[in-house]
Amino acid sequence: MTPQASLDDTLIALADPTRRAILQRVAVGESRVTDLAEPFAISLNAVSKHIRILERSGLVRRRRSGREHLLSLNTQPFDEAMAWMETQRAFWKRNLMALDELLQAEDVIGER
Amino acid sequence: MSDEPTMNIAVTHRFTASAERVFDAWLDPVKAGKWLFSTPTGTMVKVEIDARLGGKFLVIDRRDGVDVDHVGEYVEIDRPRRLVFKFIVPKYTDLWTTVAIDIVALDGGCELTLTHEGVLTEYTDRTKDGWTMMLDGLDEALG
Repeated sequence: MTPQASLDDTLIALADPTRRAILQRVAVGESRVTDLAEPFAISLNAVSKHIRILERSGLVRRRRSGREHLLSLNTQPFDEAMAWMETQRAFWKRNLMALDELLQAEDVIGER
Repeated sequence: MSDEPTMNIAVTHRFTASAERVFDAWLDPVKAGKWLFSTPTGTMVKVEIDARLGGKFLVIDRRDGVDVDHVGEYVEIDRPRRLVFKFIVPKYTDLWTTVAIDIVALDGGCELTLTHEGVLTEYTDRTKDGWTMMLDGLDEALG
């Protein structure tokens, strides 16, 4: 599932403070859904909705161990989002460098 | 919480050329063809620029034998301070993004800030391979 999750899903997942807090807890180690819900002043149902959004993005993985649902962090979608930003930035930087070189070359020709 | 996440990237570059010369290089087809949307290994095959409000541009860079169209429409032209255009690369995405160019004149040149809005929302699974291939090529070329 994870490699197919779109960056939109990743961003939606990261756009909410409760979900970011859940991610921080999951980042420490594998967590039970019920334990995750505990510190939040919202219902287990509401927490479950947040977790579903996190799972859809691929940032959180779920596995079953008996009756327990255990959640863990998967940083891949986040890394992909950051990598995408970086390649875009590099593209524009390269373009602006090319413009700079062009204008400087014009100056050299003009001074001859 | 937002259902329409956007993320912008901003790139700043300092030029020794004047704000006017830097600005004009975006809209002059001959000049733009030498740098805009160019890749080190690509060949510029078409540059059409209709430099007026609502005017369109088309820049085609041939990369490894494949033509990559860069299509845009000007939404703000304020020489030499600000240029804004809607932007799409149909080969990789069907979503329009917005690019804003802000130029501040300085002693002995100018500073340009490029802001590309909605960068991440244009990213879809379909687009990923194309961009990755192109940018890998770019990285290699830059060594």
